[in-house]
Amino acid sequence: MSRAGAAALALAWLAVAPALAHEPVIAPLGFEPPAPGTYTLHRIMAAPDGEVLGLDGRPQPLARFTHERITVLGLIYTTCIDPDGCPRTLPVFDAIRAGARASPTLRDRLRLVTLSFDPERDTPAAMRGYAGARAEAGPVPWHFLTTRSARALAPLLDGFGQDVRTTIVRAEGTRRREISHVLKVFLIDPAGFVREIYDSTFLHPRTVLNDVETLLLEP
Amino acid sequence: MMRHRTIAVALGCAWLATLGVAAAAADETCNSPYITKLIKGQEDYVYVWALGVEGVGDGSDKLVTIDVNPKSKTYGKVLGSVSVGTRGEAHHMGLTDDRRFIWAGGLSEAKIHVFDIGTDPAKPKLVQTITDMADKSGYLGPHTYYALPGRMLVQALSNTKDKGGVTGMALYSNKGEFIAAYPMPTDNGGDGYGYDLAVNAKKNVLLTSSFTGYNNYMRPLGDLIKDAEAMKKFGNTMVAWDLKAMKPKKVFAVPGAPLEIRWSPKAGDNWAITAAALTSKLWLVKEDKGEWQAKEVGTIGDPAKIPLPVDISITRDGKGLWVNTFMDGTTRYFDLSNPGAPKQTYAKVTGKQVNMVSQSWDGKRVYVTSSLLANWDKGGADNEQFLRGFAWDGKELKPAFEVDFIKEKLGRAHHMKLGARSLKSS
Repeated sequence: MSRAGAAALALAWLAVAPALAHEPVIAPLGFEPPAPGTYTLHRIMAAPDGEVLGLDGRPQPLARFTHERITVLGLIYTTCIDPDGCPRTLPVFDAIRAGARASPTLRDRLRLVTLSFDPERDTPAAMRGYAGARAEAGPVPWHFLTTRSARALAPLLDGFGQDVRTTIVRAEGTRRREISHVLKVFLIDPAGFVREIYDSTFLHPRTVLNDVETLLLEP
Repeated sequence: MMRHRTIAVALGCAWLATLGVAAAAADETCNSPYITKLIKGQEDYVYVWALGVEGVGDGSDKLVTIDVNPKSKTYGKVLGSVSVGTRGEAHHMGLTDDRRFIWAGGLSEAKIHVFDIGTDPAKPKLVQTITDMADKSGYLGPHTYYALPGRMLVQALSNTKDKGGVTGMALYSNKGEFIAAYPMPTDNGGDGYGYDLAVNAKKNVLLTSSFTGYNNYMRPLGDLIKDAEAMKKFGNTMVAWDLKAMKPKKVFAVPGAPLEIRWSPKAGDNWAITAAALTSKLWLVKEDKGEWQAKEVGTIGDPAKIPLPVDISITRDGKGLWVNTFMDGTTRYFDLSNPGAPKQTYAKVTGKQVNMVSQSWDGKRVYVTSSLLANWDKGGADNEQFLRGFAWDGKELKPAFEVDFIKEKLGRAHHMKLGARSLKSS
């Protein structure tokens, strides 16, 4: 990333450090990423559209949250406890937002979206509890979304290529739903095209902010 | 870096009494790091991508599903096969990151067949054939299918213009939409050739290796080895790429067609190993003094006899390496406790010709197939075509089952992938 961007990110990280205390720590990146603008992020696919529910429970098209700004969208479920899975997105998104807020060029160009793939448990009320203060208005908005049902969710998962497997585990008279998935976070350009897909190894504030800057440097 | 064509020429002379090269990629310990649903228990199926043979069954390439669970009533039996209806020199295949699909292709064309193995892992279904690789990239002979998040990176072996070895990688979305092409480097020592792909995501490194083009691998071996000019046209390089930027960073001189590349799966290890087919040497790629370096670290058999190491399979702890040598039909085990000095500790003749070797995650089961290339396989009684399963107790490979691919009218058995009932999509 640029020197200015790196400085902004470092300062921003200090600001969000207390929030990280109870969450997975962001491990140092094991490599020096290429500088913004020195590489190309190709169009991978169009982000899918479909009906989602905001924290107020109102139905809206997902496209409203994937166009006009650069979007970093994470697919999660709130009860995930895999440290390399969904919980990892929170401190990384915190750092991305803090870095972007500190950068005049990024502040008004970026949004974050957390979309649940567990509509049964992740109701708008549950998402509100999960979001906490993160959903408060301000520069670099962070939207927490869910869906009305598995049927409403299915085309979104298919469109993003997010594999989610739900199994029912019955033991000692109890019934427990277990969800397995591969963590995927999507970088979407203002025209609604997915330009990068991050797994847990590449999901890092430095790589994401570099990619955001790379998109902004496009002619 | 200098090219090393002279070595291929010298080997070409030595080859007159022997045979050829080529190979394949990947088993449960050798998959892309982006494939997270590894089968860490007993696998139920081995999928074999088989080359069609005229007069054998329908003569077409096909994906064959074989039951390999010892507790099953149909253990060691063919459960079914899916023919693609054409013969295109079936070679390798790869799993998508979500393990719902197998991508498979042939070296004589630019088609990629996509099989759904998620809906019913026991009954793969052909759901798509991608036909635009040549038009979009100019590449021919898709070889390695390497899963990236939501995408498949396809390494080709040749090109449609002159059908030589200068080629590149084509990137597709998991839905089969072309995204980009990345030519193999032809400057700074690069020979432009391609073969295998292997990613170390934590270090942001993609390693590539190099083989030869259509003009060579589709040619009858007897003709090829008499053509000194053609014998110069084998790859002699590996390349370290910046994975994130998809740009070559360093070209290594690795003479003699370096083929399969395996990063150690052990957490914290940051080295990869490869085998050069023509020189019968093991090479280690490792970071040293802040820079990636390639170093010759071992010999496989007697290079003067051209044993032709064609496939390797690393154990999950990075401590051992299976190596199949085609010419002598031998499956060898190397102790990799010190990857800088591999030592062969075991060898067994597992067929009259052997190509691929794959192992289960726990290393207790080893699978071997027989076919290298249609025009390079041995003839007559030596042309065995099989999948053989073995049990490995750390000391001895014990035969467990065998499927005769000619008797079953399936063709030439080449690449393998493992499957499990539990991976059925929900």
